[in-house]
Amino acid sequence: MTVFKKVKENLFSVAVALTYIIMFIINPAMGTESVKNSGYYIKEMLMIMPVIFVLTALLDMWVPKEKIMRYLGKDAGAKGIFLSFVVGSVSAGPIYAAFPMCVMLHKKGASIRNIIIILSSWAVIKVPMLLNEAKFLGLKFMAIRWVFTVLAIIIFSWISTKIIRDEDLPGEILAKPGLHINQEACISCTLCTKGYPILFEMIGKKAAIKAYDKESLDFEKLQNAIKACPVHAIEYLEE
Amino acid sequence: MDVFTLAIWIGTFVFLGISFAKDKVKTKQALKMAFGMGKGMLSSILSIIFAIGLILTVFPPAEIANFVGKQSVLLATVVAALFGTITLVPAFIAFPLVGTLVGAGVGVVPSVAFLPTLTMVGVVTFPLEKKEFGVKFTTVRNGLSFLFAIIIALVMGVMM
Repeated sequence: MTVFKKVKENLFSVAVALTYIIMFIINPAMGTESVKNSGYYIKEMLMIMPVIFVLTALLDMWVPKEKIMRYLGKDAGAKGIFLSFVVGSVSAGPIYAAFPMCVMLHKKGASIRNIIIILSSWAVIKVPMLLNEAKFLGLKFMAIRWVFTVLAIIIFSWISTKIIRDEDLPGEILAKPGLHINQEACISCTLCTKGYPILFEMIGKKAAIKAYDKESLDFEKLQNAIKACPVHAIEYLEE
Repeated sequence: MDVFTLAIWIGTFVFLGISFAKDKVKTKQALKMAFGMGKGMLSSILSIIFAIGLILTVFPPAEIANFVGKQSVLLATVVAALFGTITLVPAFIAFPLVGTLVGAGVGVVPSVAFLPTLTMVGVVTFPLEKKEFGVKFTTVRNGLSFLFAIIIALVMGVMM
């Protein structure tokens, strides 16, 4: 059962591994070639990935996003647009990590336009990535693409507001009081389990909440864990 | 190591130094977060890389370039953008991949269309996004992103 569950969780990895095994049986030369091809990307990845993650985490930590988020409403105008670009470009994690945060922002009054800007810039204009793009595709390529991408996002976020109304987003689901983790957002960074191991645990690749007694909660540790979560997946609702 | 990679490393170390001088606790937390993110993503990143290695063996970049070169630019661009939507690939794999393709002779226009849809639009993430934002929002956002990826690519093709 657990083996089956593991396979299901890592379906893609298992499929790739199986393909390699089959390839090595049928055509060993091609198998070797594939490994060699992959080697190039692994080398490139190892050279850049550690530093990108560190840079992203530092930006995430030092840019005062809570303060910025107050200025993302409908009347924010150019300032709101600019700040939305900032939030998206300095945030950590893949785009699906941005979904829950943007839903929260919308509930707090951020406009649809600014949410779309955050989501799009989150995906395509990560600041640490710009130099990486310049390396592989040239400085001129990077600069031109960057300018056009920003322009495109400004235009299509404006078009979106003509089509989407606030009411089109799912209404507020009344959450039960207590502690919640949005597991779809979790990127398994294990910060919460390290900071408060009595309350949080990792089940598979996702953080989960152990059974807890409300009286014995250490609110300082809990608040730290909520703040530290890079994708804002932990939420505590008072009764 | 090339200039650009070196610049990121140096810049990050300077930033790290300043950060550490200002707030040790915060900096340690950032490092833990970075390490955790890396560990969490490593297995899926490795699978993607090995899959790319496989695909590039079956379809060598030179052949892809040759094939793309025979199609009309518009068709090649749309198809490239469509390929990009299948899955989400982290940017630090997407860039060297697109670099390989451009180096092998695939035109700039299809490559530029491939890049943003690779990192931004995902059939895989569609259900997730729909659940959070509703069908209309998700369709409009993904649709417009796709459309503008193609427009940017075509405009860049004219300029470069």
